Amino acid sequence: MIASVLPTISPGTLLAGGVTATAASLWLLLPRGQSGAAERTSRWLGTLLGLAALACFVATGHRLGGLGEEAVFLIVSLVAVISGAATVVTRSPVYSAIWFAMALAGVAGVLLVLGAQFLGVATIVVYAGAILVMFLFVLMLAAPAGLAPYDRVSNEPLLSAVAGAVLLGILSLSIGRLTAEPPLCCRMPSKTAAIAGNAAADPVPAASEAGVDLLIENHVARLGGELFGRHLLAVEVAGVLLLVALIGSIAIVSRAASADGTVAPARRAVP
Amino acid sequence: MNALLPSLPTIVALVKIGLLVGGLMTAAAYLVLVERWMAAWVQDRKGPNRVGIPLTKIRLFGLGQPLADGLKIILKEDFTPRHVDKVLYTAAPVVILAASLAIFAAIPFGSSLPAIPALGLTGEEPLLVAPGLDVGVLWVFALSSIAVYGVLLGGWASNNKYGFLGGLRSSAQLVAYEIPLGLGLLGVVLAAGSLKLDTIMDAQASTGVWYAFAQPLGFLVFLVASFAEAARLPFDLPEAEQELVGGYHTEYSGIKLLLFLVAEFLHMVTAAFLIVIMFLGGWHLWGVTGAGPVETWLVAFIRFAVLSAKILGVILFFMLVRWSWPRFRFDQLMNLAWKVMLPLGIANLVTVAAVEEFRPQLVAALGEGWAKTAAIAIPWGVFFVGWIAAGIFTPSGTDNTPIRTHGPLDAEHALGAKHALGGSKRELVEV
Repeated sequence: MIASVLPTISPGTLLAGGVTATAASLWLLLPRGQSGAAERTSRWLGTLLGLAALACFVATGHRLGGLGEEAVFLIVSLVAVISGAATVVTRSPVYSAIWFAMALAGVAGVLLVLGAQFLGVATIVVYAGAILVMFLFVLMLAAPAGLAPYDRVSNEPLLSAVAGAVLLGILSLSIGRLTAEPPLCCRMPSKTAAIAGNAAADPVPAASEAGVDLLIENHVARLGGELFGRHLLAVEVAGVLLLVALIGSIAIVSRAASADGTVAPARRAVP
Repeated sequence: MNALLPSLPTIVALVKIGLLVGGLMTAAAYLVLVERWMAAWVQDRKGPNRVGIPLTKIRLFGLGQPLADGLKIILKEDFTPRHVDKVLYTAAPVVILAASLAIFAAIPFGSSLPAIPALGLTGEEPLLVAPGLDVGVLWVFALSSIAVYGVLLGGWASNNKYGFLGGLRSSAQLVAYEIPLGLGLLGVVLAAGSLKLDTIMDAQASTGVWYAFAQPLGFLVFLVASFAEAARLPFDLPEAEQELVGGYHTEYSGIKLLLFLVAEFLHMVTAAFLIVIMFLGGWHLWGVTGAGPVETWLVAFIRFAVLSAKILGVILFFMLVRWSWPRFRFDQLMNLAWKVMLPLGIANLVTVAAVEEFRPQLVAALGEGWAKTAAIAIPWGVFFVGWIAAGIFTPSGTDNTPIRTHGPLDAEHALGAKHALGGSKRELVEV
């Protein structure tokens, strides 16, 4: 039934409708400091509009491979998108952080489905495992007694909603133009082929071969070869940058402490 | 219609998941019994030895105890206090148990099974749920860092200061010890040249040199860090009974408490699996298991038994340490992580990298046999040097003088003293 209706609407109309619905739903969902009943109404409306926008975006997308793949992809990407929206519109900072973690888990799932295992797992290790735990740590320590006033109302709800939706629209438009053929996930190798190919695969692939097909087995070694071969300088510069940031933060802390002698050895470590 | 039926790999994976989860849950229940026996043995008492077959008088050395305990805790009232954040309070135990079970997707629980043509399995069937996962070690690392959420959220959602303190302590400890844990892992990954745990075991089996012998410093760092990650004594600060009642699960009861306790136990089991797989040779034992592919069911069974026996041995070691060591204080814990384990881990990584890089030159200069000896002797030299350096530069005695904190009142006090004594006081404060 849906399939019979859909071809009558052009993809451009669908995308424009999706962007508009996204902007309206985000604006309705963002906390704007209204009273109870009005807020509840706008939340309901916003959720409904958000679902409509999701449907529009899904309808413009490509068909994927098999039924199972498509179901898994749909589930993880829905988790990512809905959690991303919830991160923005939730009132409590701790819940926002949790939704952000869910969004990251969804993105990691999408990457795993598409065959980028290293990126997917690294997303969880770096973001969800380290950075977000630090966020949570600070949030829990900073606001133990309820929400601060500046957490309850969002600044510029209209502008931010429109900007986010327009960005989303432009991105999906450009992706739609880039991929005239079906996306990568359709070409995912089946599991048995993956196992068999893995046993026979060359343990140390050459760096120059990488980038031809990222979905091949042993892609961690290939990724390493690529990173430390062609992009060695960028990796080293990023490492030095992080080291400088680390030293800088230590310098700032110690200077702030020694500027006035009152807070100097606040946390003297006991050996 | 045919597309809806699960394919053979899916069925095989489901069977493996079922076996693994069932085995782990049973093992966790019976390991609790073993732990209580161990405690009783150390404390010179009898321990649980009464519960046997229900409705009879047969005692069976207390082997019915886990069933009785489980039944009791499941049937207990699942009480939710009114002051908690209900959503996160319910989600926390689920998150921690799910994460600690999902870890086992990448952990092999044996070598592999020979081909079973009757079922359509023509190749060797690896005893691993996700054999296609190329990033096994990172998967384990990622999910063990997800388990932090359970602890942190449980502590925060309880809305209880003891719970919150336990959650904070725990997250700080787990994040701090992830670094030495990662450094220990990296040495092994570097030597084996793969992130897959089954490949790491194969590498140890084919050379016959377990990584505990080739990288003693890495083994030490990984062992200590995995004790801390599993929050076992001497690192059980997140739930120090004497200070925090129960730590992050103070407000939990019934089945939710059970989920927390099982997850905690599974962390220890995971740590034992990783220690055995990465450093103690996995299923390999010289002269017993062989190193090649699995041809008969006997070999498959022997390898499984060797792996299980090693894991049980490591778990018994965990339990023995629990009754042998006092708990660290929090500053000692952090000092150990950042000032001892981190430099030792880096020293190990540099040594392993150097040995692996210059192995061809070593072989060319010394010949095959002597190069092998040197590749083991150099890490042992670094191990002893590191040990001595750690002993000299980190005083082992405890300093119990109170830590001078500087609140607002202290600042005024110091200011007054500074005026009274001239500039000399300032230097004293900054010591």
